[in-house]
Amino acid sequence: MKHGILISDHEKAGGGGARRRTANTNANSEVAATRSTPAAALADANGTAPAPGGPKWTARRRRVVANLTGWSFAAPATLIILGLTLFPAAWAFLISREHWNGIAPARQIGWDNYRLMAQDPDFRSAVNHTVLFTVLYVPVVLVLGMFLAIALNRKIRFIAFYRTALFVPLVVSAAATGILANFVFDQQFGLANNLLRVLHLPRQGFLADRHEVMWVIALIYLWTDLAFSVIVYLAALQDIPTDCLEAARIDGANRWQQFRHVILPSLAPVTVFVGVWETISVLQIFELILTTTHGGPLGASQTIVYFIYNQAFNLSRYGYGSAAAYTLFGATLIITLGLFAYARRSKIEAF
Amino acid sequence: MHPRTARTLRSAAATATAAALMLTAACSSSSSSSAKAADPNKAVTITVWTGQDVAPEKLLEGLAKQFHDAHPNVTVDISPGAPTTDQLLPKLTAAFTSGTYPDISYNFGSWATQMQVSGRTLDITDKVKDPSVQWAEFPPAARQTATPNGHVIGFPAVVDNLALMYNKKLFQAAGLAEPTNTWTWDDFRAAAKKLTDPAKNVYGTAYSVSGTEDTTWHFWPLLWQKGGSVLNSGNTKAAFDSDAGVAALTFLRQMAVDDKSVYLSQDDQKYADLFKSGLIGMIMSGPWQLSDNVAANLDYGVTYLPSFDGTNHQTISGPDIWTLYDHHDSDRAYWSYQFAQWLTSQQTDPKFNLATGNLPLRSSEASSTEFQDYAKQYPGAQTLFDNLKNATTARPTVPGYVGLSQAVGQAIAKVLQGQGDPKAALQDAAKAADVALAQAD
Repeated sequence: MKHGILISDHEKAGGGGARRRTANTNANSEVAATRSTPAAALADANGTAPAPGGPKWTARRRRVVANLTGWSFAAPATLIILGLTLFPAAWAFLISREHWNGIAPARQIGWDNYRLMAQDPDFRSAVNHTVLFTVLYVPVVLVLGMFLAIALNRKIRFIAFYRTALFVPLVVSAAATGILANFVFDQQFGLANNLLRVLHLPRQGFLADRHEVMWVIALIYLWTDLAFSVIVYLAALQDIPTDCLEAARIDGANRWQQFRHVILPSLAPVTVFVGVWETISVLQIFELILTTTHGGPLGASQTIVYFIYNQAFNLSRYGYGSAAAYTLFGATLIITLGLFAYARRSKIEAF
Repeated sequence: MHPRTARTLRSAAATATAAALMLTAACSSSSSSSAKAADPNKAVTITVWTGQDVAPEKLLEGLAKQFHDAHPNVTVDISPGAPTTDQLLPKLTAAFTSGTYPDISYNFGSWATQMQVSGRTLDITDKVKDPSVQWAEFPPAARQTATPNGHVIGFPAVVDNLALMYNKKLFQAAGLAEPTNTWTWDDFRAAAKKLTDPAKNVYGTAYSVSGTEDTTWHFWPLLWQKGGSVLNSGNTKAAFDSDAGVAALTFLRQMAVDDKSVYLSQDDQKYADLFKSGLIGMIMSGPWQLSDNVAANLDYGVTYLPSFDGTNHQTISGPDIWTLYDHHDSDRAYWSYQFAQWLTSQQTDPKFNLATGNLPLRSSEASSTEFQDYAKQYPGAQTLFDNLKNATTARPTVPGYVGLSQAVGQAIAKVLQGQGDPKAALQDAAKAADVALAQAD
């Protein structure tokens, strides 16, 4: 596969370059060492310190200046990251070990929030909903995304229109989607139930039914989110070199064999990437819940992030909410690292 | 502030409003929170967070400007503070942490105790005893809410109560007699059943099953009428899972599950919209619904809540308050108090509350021309005003009420949607509520 060869060639070149660079650095430091040694020997012999402005001093000054220059470029971004990401994250961790309603003084309670969480049936059901949602949703979005991308990756009339039409929902904000969905899936007055009535099918509860609500939300989320995986797959498909496919055709591969043995392996890195991306975003699904069901009916659509929001901002249990947030962070990290490890072991260059 | 600007302002103040200042200074001779006496002539800026929507916010900004015109040395920095009133709580929380909290903030009544316990509020208990404040003119529930743990922390801002609103056209179409102030809940149930017409998507009544405070507070009047109470006498444990609570919830369950005459609203807005659109016969609602009804040209009527025993028409009031915050600055404290008192006075309040369609804060406003206009503009306003006397029990403001409210709201939502029985659901909720009360959140 030419694509693969190209990558490994590049890697080899890169690796070689890196090795050469290290060699150079070693050489430099050797030179520096040899250069400084006579000076030191000289200083020892004369019993005096080397004169200021000597080679050693200049080297140090040059290094300091280089460091300062570097940091003057890196410092603003570093400060922003420290101030807006790492500091709040660290603070949230401290809060997660407190009982704090935001107004009265906080009380240190160690790991009690985490212990409480392990026994909280509401938290467990939020985890169940989220995990179930992820397990069901991510494969669907991968398969459907790939299917649509292949369907859209051909030269037919109005192809630009189809692609745009598919992309539009991605641009719509989650809040607008939620409000729209409320109209469509309203139990009494919604479009969906009107359609069922015309078809003489029984009326459904949709967002008001505990057993249907997660499916309906998955459907709405799929509508907004599918375009992302389609776009990524489309880009990957157009990246497959035509001579590969040509070679396969000349070798007598039929359409299915071309797909199975050429296209599918080429899409593997993208699949891992989209899989990780979708998993992370689905684990954090929130806005759609907020704008449609508020976690209802009877908590049936409560996800982890909605649970965190409700605890922290509706009930002012900032400590408990932070603890749940940290648990989600830990779980997401483990899943992501797991997928990374899997990708590396099976030699898929996803990132 | 730059000293020179301050001096200029001060001299302007002295010439322009000497009389007004002397008057207000005389009204508040009692000591402020700081040891240092306030200097009413000093230039001061006070910050006010209103948590209001666009239209009422405009009115308040206009009033703040009037106050500034009368006291040029006082600048009132007034803003909503947060996009919705709900959002003021997290905003205040953050502001307490960073020390940038306002001098005056609009608060839901349920936050009052939390605010008082934070130690950041002014204590104006002695000041409101001044006869010129006419503290007793505020409805009792509003006064209780502004006085958590026996300390007055602010002035009532908005008072309301729940009454029964009904759609006259639907009653006529069903050939039913309209509700009266002497109705019983059995009358209510029978009418709701007759009004319900699934084919036309018409429901007799509605109840929110969102599980929020909206679900919960509509339930308290029924509990109280049955003789129950939300908390025990020491305010330490939940008491709503009593026989009274079970009976009240059973009544609602019969309507929702057996009669199917209740539209179960998954959020707190939809049932009001459907009532406005003429698809729901009766709802328990308050003054905030009036302007919507009028705007939708709805032919509606208002009565007291029905009673179980034929005499007790007890309702609930959810008063909101203007809380005053302590910045250890006697001048700011002085002017915060002056502004809040002025805003809620008999002269000023009609320009805010009546103009926005709320009930008047003070009983003395009933004779004002503004109130006459208001009652004419909004049918039923007079009934709602009279209904304040039925709000004899205040909604608890203990810390932990928010958690209690959510536990009860979810229990009610569960039962009305046909899951679980009233007794078990309320007992579970009481357990959760006890934890919330013990942890004060």
